[in-house]
Amino acid sequence: MIRGVFAIVVLDLKRFWVDRARLVAGLAQPLLYLFVLGAGIGASSRMGGGDYRRFIFPGTMGLSLLFSATFAAIAIVFDRQIGFFKAVLVAPIPRPAIALGKIIAGALQSVAQGMVLLPFAPLAGASLGPLETVEMIGAMALAALTFSTIGVALACRFNSTTVFPVASNAVLMPMFFLSGGLYPLKVAPHWMQVAAHFDPVAYAIDLMRGSVLGVFYFPVPLSVGALGLTIVVLAASSVRVFNRGEDDSSLGSTRFGWIR
Amino acid sequence: MSTAPALSADAPPAAVDVRGLIKHYGKVEALRGVDIRIEQGEMFALLGPNGAGKTTLFSILATLRSPTSGHARVLGRDVLAERDAIRRDMGIVFQEPAIEHRLSGRDNLFLMGLLYGLTMAGARRRASEVLEQLGISDLADRRAQQLSGGQRRKLELARALVTDPRILFLDEATLGLDVDARRTFWGQVRGLADAGRTVFFTTHYMEEADVADRIALIDFGVIVALGTPRELKARLGGGIVRLTTDDDARARAWLSEHGFAPEPGGHEIMLLHADPAAVLPELLRSLPVRVERAEVHAPSLADVFLKLTGRGLEGGNKP
Repeated sequence: MIRGVFAIVVLDLKRFWVDRARLVAGLAQPLLYLFVLGAGIGASSRMGGGDYRRFIFPGTMGLSLLFSATFAAIAIVFDRQIGFFKAVLVAPIPRPAIALGKIIAGALQSVAQGMVLLPFAPLAGASLGPLETVEMIGAMALAALTFSTIGVALACRFNSTTVFPVASNAVLMPMFFLSGGLYPLKVAPHWMQVAAHFDPVAYAIDLMRGSVLGVFYFPVPLSVGALGLTIVVLAASSVRVFNRGEDDSSLGSTRFGWIR
Repeated sequence: MSTAPALSADAPPAAVDVRGLIKHYGKVEALRGVDIRIEQGEMFALLGPNGAGKTTLFSILATLRSPTSGHARVLGRDVLAERDAIRRDMGIVFQEPAIEHRLSGRDNLFLMGLLYGLTMAGARRRASEVLEQLGISDLADRRAQQLSGGQRRKLELARALVTDPRILFLDEATLGLDVDARRTFWGQVRGLADAGRTVFFTTHYMEEADVADRIALIDFGVIVALGTPRELKARLGGGIVRLTTDDDARARAWLSEHGFAPEPGGHEIMLLHADPAAVLPELLRSLPVRVERAEVHAPSLADVFLKLTGRGLEGGNKP
């Protein structure tokens, strides 16, 4: 089992390394939010430009982690269309190992993307001391693991590379907008605050924001608990989908053309 | 003390033992009762047109699909109940590419080794061994996408061999390769079989099936013939004689008078006969013309298939 998880992680990281240019390209979106959207909205908000940028830095970090984790999960959908994964499927490794390996590999890729963005913190007015940096990286790791689990749980239910990105955007964008990544939840309309309590992205961003600003919206144990619960529930659900595929080697997807 | 060693309990199980195998996809009957027994170390070809049930039978044996009913064992193990045990002992070359083309050949083999439970160092070592064995070490560090079709197929074979399988499954493994690349590929597979590995492969190229020890012809989900290539061809009841003479018209006339039936037309004389090699000396002695060239042909597997099913191999029979 452990060997299987390890093999899948090494496989995905090897493929990720081929595409490492993605790390640089992946910077564009969060920096755009931070310095363009941030400058525009900041100037018109009561916080002022500098404070606003500092405020949304954890939000853009969350965005970056969320998107890189989901992008990593797309590999699952792609894998079904290339033969390589068939060879993986007939290897004598348990299906849960494939699911867990994918989740861990996605989280590592997501953290790698986050680490590329982190040095921009001072530019956003969020200078982090050593302790804050450690807190921030810890929060990033937990966030990345959560997002990767969400990504895999979504991806293992799709077998079309054209449908999945659209569908995942339809799920992830609302989660991001409700998370308080770009505005303080404290002053948001009541319904949004209620909705945020059901949004794992909100807890993840709040943990990161707390590390930067020292002020949390949710109690820290609640956030950690909510993220832990999300990881466990969604990982279990992905394992179930992957296991279902054992009957026909199709990874749970019945329309996978290779197998009927 | 057993006095009947052939029946002793430690006799090796058949590499493949299939009895009464049936597979339906909804209403489509892909396999309609297949019986095959393949001994260990045999190189076995499953030959038939597209849609005959080749890939279905292949997939069931390679534990990729489950049978609707019937009995299928590989190396003595049930394809459903002992799937994982079979998987540890088999290697597959798929019809479609199954290497990650963005990675090097060496990396592909290394990852496959990891997936089969080798250590990092063990997987690396094994990758080098297999590359060496197939003579493609010099290509190993290039990205797979930079290789030619034939080289990539060799890499597929290498990938299947990483786990040192006792049985090798190949499904239309040379699809899209030119004749030279196909010949090289099958030469290597033949070598593996000669070294004691069981090989089971599907194809719809008759000349590929010729390298096998035994061939099963499959059509519409049933085995229509099974035997060595020589046995199968013998079923046509003979072979073909080709002659070129200094007076073909006179030769034809003579042949017709003496009870032979030369095929009409052509720039040479073609004659179907039960025992062409035996009749040729007599023809050479008795023909009233000078024979410039004489040739004896065995019938091809395509001729056999045509005779048994009334259809050619290349056409396919999708409903």
